[in-house]
Amino acid sequence: MLEIKDLVTEYGSVKALNGISLIAHEGKITTVIGANGAGKSTLLRTISALEHPRSGSITWKNKSIVGLSPEKIVRLGIAHVPEGHAVISQLSVEENIEMGALFRMRSNKADVRLAIQEIYQLFPRLEERKKQLAGSLSGGERQMLAISRALVSRPSLLLLDEPSLGLAPLVVEQIIQTVNDLCRNTGLTVLLVEQNANTALGVADHGILLSLGTVAADLPAAQMKADVALRAAYLGY
Amino acid sequence: MDIFLSAIFAGTSRGAIYALAALGLVLVWRGAGVVNFAQMGQAMFSTYIASTLIAQNYSYWIAFVVALISGGVLGGLVDLLVMRPLSRKRSSSVLDSPAMRSTVPVIASLGILGVLQAAAGMIWAAEERGFPTPVNSLGLVINGKIMPFTAFDLFVMGIVFVTLVATTYFFKGTGMGLAMRASALNPEVARLSGIRIGFVRTLSWVISGVASSLAGLLVTPSANLSPYTLDLILIIGFTAAVVGGLDSLLGSVIGGFALGLLVSFVNVYDAPEDIFLAILIVLLTVLVIRPQGILGSKEVRRV
Repeated sequence: MLEIKDLVTEYGSVKALNGISLIAHEGKITTVIGANGAGKSTLLRTISALEHPRSGSITWKNKSIVGLSPEKIVRLGIAHVPEGHAVISQLSVEENIEMGALFRMRSNKADVRLAIQEIYQLFPRLEERKKQLAGSLSGGERQMLAISRALVSRPSLLLLDEPSLGLAPLVVEQIIQTVNDLCRNTGLTVLLVEQNANTALGVADHGILLSLGTVAADLPAAQMKADVALRAAYLGY
Repeated sequence: MDIFLSAIFAGTSRGAIYALAALGLVLVWRGAGVVNFAQMGQAMFSTYIASTLIAQNYSYWIAFVVALISGGVLGGLVDLLVMRPLSRKRSSSVLDSPAMRSTVPVIASLGILGVLQAAAGMIWAAEERGFPTPVNSLGLVINGKIMPFTAFDLFVMGIVFVTLVATTYFFKGTGMGLAMRASALNPEVARLSGIRIGFVRTLSWVISGVASSLAGLLVTPSANLSPYTLDLILIIGFTAAVVGGLDSLLGSVIGGFALGLLVSFVNVYDAPEDIFLAILIVLLTVLVIRPQGILGSKEVRRV
């Protein structure tokens, strides 16, 4: 279980997160929605230690993870797929995947091989293109690669930042479905940040609505999806 | 014909040295994303250490190994004492912009070069001294003429070849090599993948330090040792790295040999004064026609 309490993160004098509390339950998809600038990405970046919080606590499996480095946090089973199809375009597809497993290559080589095999089964297109540079992939394939890079570390918590950004609806559907299957079949905990609230609430168990760095609503996903007034007030439709 | 041959030989042996210098630059560029102008300063420093040991009657090879180790240590210290603290400074928004983040280490490296040269001058005095070769340096004889190519030159070329193969394998074939490329290309994604980028960067400074001190040890027999002797090698090595495509190891070696031949031909057929002009012309031509260099990838500088 990931538990966040009164989290404050600042950029200079701007409070991007202004006292956020939430819980992501194990084996469930929790989605964080909200308009641009609500603090969704900052929330994920603070969890994975790319940003340092000013105050508040983040506990993962009953241990505080505030103050650890990003490379340490991955080792605790928290994998972050940042916004914008974060792959390294000058490296091959294969190398991008391998990169995510380097830290446990020596301790558990057999499992790394297995994890890579599983990823190729999940995304056969990546196997076909494994020798190609990641920069030559389509947007959807890049997002698949970015997720693969995270999965190969065998995380128990996946932080997914706007996987739908800039992708065609059909591709978005496919990626979200894959994440959903992973969660249901392997017990992966997912914290999914999305602007595309409808798609996200469609698969999520729980919804958190952020507005200007604070939690505006914290409801079961189905209930949040049905709340027309809430959507009109914060999402504009 | 003899002049032509001798120009080829002289160019190849010079080229091997430039190639080593360029390799050192490419190593730290690929591992830490920094163009290191202090590189030949580090090399000069470790060559002085070797020279001091030899003067105290230690064997060449002991001095050689000690110099390589101190080159690596010096590279590591540059990273730990200067580059790493600099990359953590976020005091102002100007310093924190991407453009400045890539420029600050380069300027710092120029400062380190100055410090190293001054320190060497203080410790060892600034006058030139000689430096021996490990194998004989008598010219090869072809058609009864002595050519400017010696067993030592062959030794240098062998070392360039071994360094090229070893570093290429390291980057392409090992996990640490992949970690290094990833850290230089995209530190954020690398960290999120669990790569300890601090350690990886320091390691690339160490390896580059060893490669540069190798270049220093091998070039000094033909140049005499003073705090400033290696400046020329740095300039030509840098040009070679750019011509080859800053991120390609093989490219930098090709660039090194090409420039060695160029320098040698200008020397023989024209005049030594024109060497810099010729280098400048080549640099500008490459930058205009093929900015990514002979073997460089196109998006080297995408931030």
